[in-house]
Amino acid sequence: MKKAVISVLGTDGPGIIATVTDVLYKLDCNIENVSQTILQTEFSGIFIIGMDQSLGEAVLEGHLRHALADRHMTVHVKHLPPAPPMECPTCDPFVITTRGPDQKGLVARITRIIADFGVNVTNLQAVFKGGDDPDANIMIYEVDIPVTTDTEALRKALRAKAAELELTISIQHKNVFEAINRI
Amino acid sequence: MLTDREILSVLEMLQNEHLDVRAVTMGISLFDCASDDLERFSANIQRKITRLAGQLVNVCDEVGEKYGIPVVNKRIAVSPMAVVGAPFNAEEMVVAAQALDAAAREVKIDFLGGFSALVEKGMSRGDLALMDAIPEALTRTERVCASVNVASTRAGINMDAVLKMGAQIKQAAALTADRDGLACAKLCVFANIPQDVPFMAGAYLGVGEADAVINVGVSGPGVVKKAIDRAVAQNPHLDLGELSEIIKRTAYKVTRVGELIGREVAQRVGQRFGVVDLSLAPTPNVGDSVGEIFQSMGLLSIGVPGTTAALAMLNDAVKKGGAFASSHVGGLSGAFVPVSEDLNISEAAEKGYLSIEKLEAITSVCSVGLDMVAIPGDTSAETLSAIIADEMAIGVINKKTTATRIIPVPGKGAGEHAYFGGLLGESVIMPVNTAAEPNPFIRRGGLIPSPIHSLRN
Repeated sequence: MKKAVISVLGTDGPGIIATVTDVLYKLDCNIENVSQTILQTEFSGIFIIGMDQSLGEAVLEGHLRHALADRHMTVHVKHLPPAPPMECPTCDPFVITTRGPDQKGLVARITRIIADFGVNVTNLQAVFKGGDDPDANIMIYEVDIPVTTDTEALRKALRAKAAELELTISIQHKNVFEAINRI
Repeated sequence: MLTDREILSVLEMLQNEHLDVRAVTMGISLFDCASDDLERFSANIQRKITRLAGQLVNVCDEVGEKYGIPVVNKRIAVSPMAVVGAPFNAEEMVVAAQALDAAAREVKIDFLGGFSALVEKGMSRGDLALMDAIPEALTRTERVCASVNVASTRAGINMDAVLKMGAQIKQAAALTADRDGLACAKLCVFANIPQDVPFMAGAYLGVGEADAVINVGVSGPGVVKKAIDRAVAQNPHLDLGELSEIIKRTAYKVTRVGELIGREVAQRVGQRFGVVDLSLAPTPNVGDSVGEIFQSMGLLSIGVPGTTAALAMLNDAVKKGGAFASSHVGGLSGAFVPVSEDLNISEAAEKGYLSIEKLEAITSVCSVGLDMVAIPGDTSAETLSAIIADEMAIGVINKKTTATRIIPVPGKGAGEHAYFGGLLGESVIMPVNTAAEPNPFIRRGGLIPSPIHSLRN
């Protein structure tokens, strides 16, 4: 068995997952993980599968393209080599939220600071409806901050950038959201 | 993964509804500081307080920053000074209070409670010395708070102590006449005082408690009000059962915040976590008021007919939600209706919707007592004692905590304004029924026996 990652992108509609998984089933592939989401009208799905050594990635991709031909979906299949043991630093999960007037480059400028501090974004949700209503323009970053990071400096840098962009920013440990919302 | 709704609702509570942790209070036992040498005693208590609480303020600020939830007040509650300092006379007790004040200043906390006596059945030498020292001690210190438990359901009401406290309150007011009797704002008279209250002025560390403990007072009247407003906007025909459910869920969330912060502070300062006090505690800010909750529930104002029923429901729902959210609930855990500290309640008093008699009535269903009530300065000590006795009776018979924190504002009459500043707020001076003076009943003294524990009507 070897592994592959499949990405499927295109206009959403009933039957996309059914079509993809039907192809996988018929080719004797085993689904290990799936994540899919819909942004406005667009479907995006990532599948990690196990497949027989003899099945080529290009062949699988061809079958999927054929099955999804009517829907004009973009499909890509990539070989997934066995993961090397990763040096995973001990991290604290935080949530960074910004609200404020919309302008181009908000995500780029905030994530640049996050990246410069070696912090990994694990989930990003952002809605920009445009205009000055802060509630219409929100970014929510779930991040893992290594315990070795100078959080004071990170907070300071983020707050300074937020002030420059006229954003209200909050940086909170994830536990508070779980404590309040979940039993 | 969190949903955006979960995250945004928390932000809403923080940014627009005044959600915070109202008080993190470190209880510190002073029994191992005891000495009959005043100088040594003072040095001992200062050393112990600064050793245990030296980092309290910093730790609370760090934890507050980590979770994005401000810890508004950091405080200390100590063992009852009347017991710890039993060998001292009144003058020496004042010096002990000053030592507490100095320690509080050194560790940068805003209030320290525990200048306290427990006299529900009788007054020992140390108790008498402390009670005699209260007016002077509260005048000469800035951060020390005093409390005297004069009654309990098990013991009855010590009317000698009640009588004495009426006089001490008058004297405390006279000594701080230039500040509208401010010393009285730091003095509570209790029935059934709990051992683990994190809120001032009634906080002290009970004799059955550990050497040090972290107790937390949550807040959140603004959060409860907005939750009710949102629900009513969605469904104007919401009935009271549904309203109660909304309050319950909101109290759950608010309490979880207190528990989270309290546990982390306790862990960082290396002390055990005690309790979360589920009281809705207002501040003199719009949107952070218990009084506004009554209006959101549909009453014209706190004080009008229907108030007692509304408070009974509000408080019960808060307790139910809070009890589910935390395994260790304690302290007062009842809504506060401090007149001067709640903008809306002081307005209700000013407009005449709320009288002292109605305030007293609502304390029977669950608020904690006649709290921060400014009354005319010429109210006699006897009438003050009589008001205290009435309030104590409600606590004793209903097996609950009640308290009074009354300020007879020197030189001012009903309808004038008293200003206490900061969190203590300001209020119109409420009229008092003085028709009963002189009052031989109060002057009889003695002990009103503890009530019968059957025949519950």
